[in-house]
Amino acid sequence: MSEVASSSVPAPAANPVVPQGRYRAEPRWVPWVFLAPFLLTFGVFLVWPLMQSVLLAFQQTFGPKTSAWVGLANFNFMFHDPLFWKAVGNTAGFAAGAVCFQLPLSLGLALLLNRPGLKGRAFFRMIFFAPSLVGLVFVGLLFGLMFAPRTGLVNTTLHGLFPAFDPEFPWLQLYILPALIFAALWLYVGFNMIYFLAALQNVPEELMEASALDGAGPWHRFRHIVLPEILPVATFVVLMSLLGSLQLFELPFVLLNGTAGPDNRGLTIVMYLYNTGFVSGDLGYASAIGWVLALFMGAFALGQRWFSKHQEES
Amino acid sequence: MFSEFKKRLADVFGATTPAVWVLLALSIGAGAIVLPRSSSRKAGMKLWLFNKGHQQVYATVANDWNREQPTPATKVTTLLIDGPALERRLLSGFMSGTPVADLVETERSVGAKTFTGPVEDIGFVDITDRLRQEGLLDAINGPSFAPWTSRGRIFGIPHDVHPVLLVYRSDIIEAAGIDLTKVETWAEFFDALRPLMVDEDGDGRPERYPLNFWASQIQLLEQLLLQADGTLFDAQGRPHLDSERNAYVLATLATWCGGPRRVVVDAAEFTAPGNTLKLRGTVLASLMPDWLGGIWKSDMPGLSGKLKLMPLPAWEKGGRRTSVIGGTMLGIPKTTRDFEAAWAFAKKLYLDREMHARFFAKTTIIPPVKASWSHPGFSAPDPYFSGQVSGQLFISQAGNVPSRTSSPYSDMAVSRLSDVLIALVDRVNQEQISDPAALLPDARERLAQAQLQMKTLIERNVFLRDDAAPVTKAAGAASAP
Repeated sequence: MSEVASSSVPAPAANPVVPQGRYRAEPRWVPWVFLAPFLLTFGVFLVWPLMQSVLLAFQQTFGPKTSAWVGLANFNFMFHDPLFWKAVGNTAGFAAGAVCFQLPLSLGLALLLNRPGLKGRAFFRMIFFAPSLVGLVFVGLLFGLMFAPRTGLVNTTLHGLFPAFDPEFPWLQLYILPALIFAALWLYVGFNMIYFLAALQNVPEELMEASALDGAGPWHRFRHIVLPEILPVATFVVLMSLLGSLQLFELPFVLLNGTAGPDNRGLTIVMYLYNTGFVSGDLGYASAIGWVLALFMGAFALGQRWFSKHQEES
Repeated sequence: MFSEFKKRLADVFGATTPAVWVLLALSIGAGAIVLPRSSSRKAGMKLWLFNKGHQQVYATVANDWNREQPTPATKVTTLLIDGPALERRLLSGFMSGTPVADLVETERSVGAKTFTGPVEDIGFVDITDRLRQEGLLDAINGPSFAPWTSRGRIFGIPHDVHPVLLVYRSDIIEAAGIDLTKVETWAEFFDALRPLMVDEDGDGRPERYPLNFWASQIQLLEQLLLQADGTLFDAQGRPHLDSERNAYVLATLATWCGGPRRVVVDAAEFTAPGNTLKLRGTVLASLMPDWLGGIWKSDMPGLSGKLKLMPLPAWEKGGRRTSVIGGTMLGIPKTTRDFEAAWAFAKKLYLDREMHARFFAKTTIIPPVKASWSHPGFSAPDPYFSGQVSGQLFISQAGNVPSRTSSPYSDMAVSRLSDVLIALVDRVNQEQISDPAALLPDARERLAQAQLQMKTLIERNVFLRDDAAPVTKAAGAASAP
């Protein structure tokens, strides 16, 4: 049987039959023609600048025509530069505020909107999400006007309610970081809420019902069923918030009229990078700052990956 | 052979999607349209500028010039570019050696950034000798060259002087029977206006303040520091923040901003809240460089006839009654194809007496060319400033404006001073200090720290150091014509 079968199958030809017209086998270089536009763009606009920026971090330049090799001097200066550490401190403070305030609020809103009997859920979802449709620049301008001394909404309201409150209270001079966190809260709480809402809607209903039948209260259901189910999304949201916070630039830049605020209280890492590279023209130092920031962000991403893997395994 | 090529071509056509060929055809078509256009644009000279008002005034000069030119190669086209965009394009062009316009009108902070590298790599043509040969160094107000001078060489024709006067709400102040014409010093100014600092609504805070100033307004800080002969850099370009004079100025300003004798309010220029405070009369006086007059007229027409100008009160009796801020120049990049034509047009644009009068009528900016100051256009009453002859008021102080540095680190130095001032104001508020003398030791200590920071920063620039590291230069670097 096997012989019959084997004899009925034609032996593979030395030269396979080449289909004619559109279905002919293509020459080996054809895939490269298709890949070429991407490879060219990727190489010219990503790989080449990336390699150049590594070199740049070890140089001091006055444009591409004049440069001096300074070795690790840029990094050495950075680690002793009080402004850099001020920027790191401010950015870390903002990131901590973003994670500690934004995420619980987002999750809380998502839990409220996920209640089965809630009327007008779509309306509230839209209302909470709407601020994130507004650009960061607009938010910066808006909050700049709101926090203005004497004429701003915040001070006039507080002074109206409590006459002892100083109508000239300089929020954007004394409390820049809280003001930034507040503006970012307004902008991103609704956005992160959507992630949590999507995750909550994927929590198996039967698990919730079974646990309720077993006598688990709302807190226990949240702690032992909801939280583990939404943990991957929560980890993702934490990571995105951290990475977004590390890249904070437009909001303080607009809110503080292109400055870092009094005593550099609003200086962030990316703002310092921008000022160094494009205001002072020290591209080498800016590149060094950029690479340190990239390493920070890579470390956070790896940490998140390790945490997710660890969670899956456990 | 041809049949083989034909077969290969057919294979290529057969093997690739038609979309590739459509894209190729579109690229070739677009190239065919764009290439002839770009080559035709190359004819003539380009002038980049950042201010629409300037462009409008220059249009007549450019038209007259273009009519006189025998060939298209020397005709001028102006191109208005937003300030930050012009800065990026100019610096990128200078740094990479790619062509920029034949003439560039640029603002002080941008100009300073072009001076950061080795002096031979500055993208503008060094016009020092040309100015001297043509007698322009004497014809133009001396201090106006300072922002465009780097390491003793001049790289642009100054457009302005920008003396600073004090503008005050004459409607409110004169109605209260206060005469500011006899005021000579800041102390006398605040004493004269203190009676107007009245708490009208009973909240414990006055509704009016004598002056617009705040520790974080670094432009105002720079003006007051320059007026007081404070220092930022020494003659060799080294930071010189830690001085007795700077400490005195900052300590005094700290007591203006806080404590029991506070006399200023934050009414920043170019902001809606700041303008609201000016319109309401919450702030009674502001420092006014000539260029700001035109902006106030446009942004706050409601103040017309309610304002008057006077020389700045001095820090001490007999002291300087003006200051300086901002500045614009016309530079000729080294990549220009016809330096002589560009130079001739630059002189026509910047040295013409009639042009200066027209410019003043539109912007209230007075020119640095001393011969133009006698033009009748500068002696016309100005209704916005209650009929005062604003032109002559500014001109009367033009010779007294303090000299400035062109250091690219100038803004950073003022920022460091602002940080010191903010720290002093915090102390004034905490300890309710009213005597500047009590702050002097603290001010000196903080200034020493600020100076050290600046020194460390500047010493990093290998291009400005005497023991500069070996510099690598790529081929094709732009050179002077």
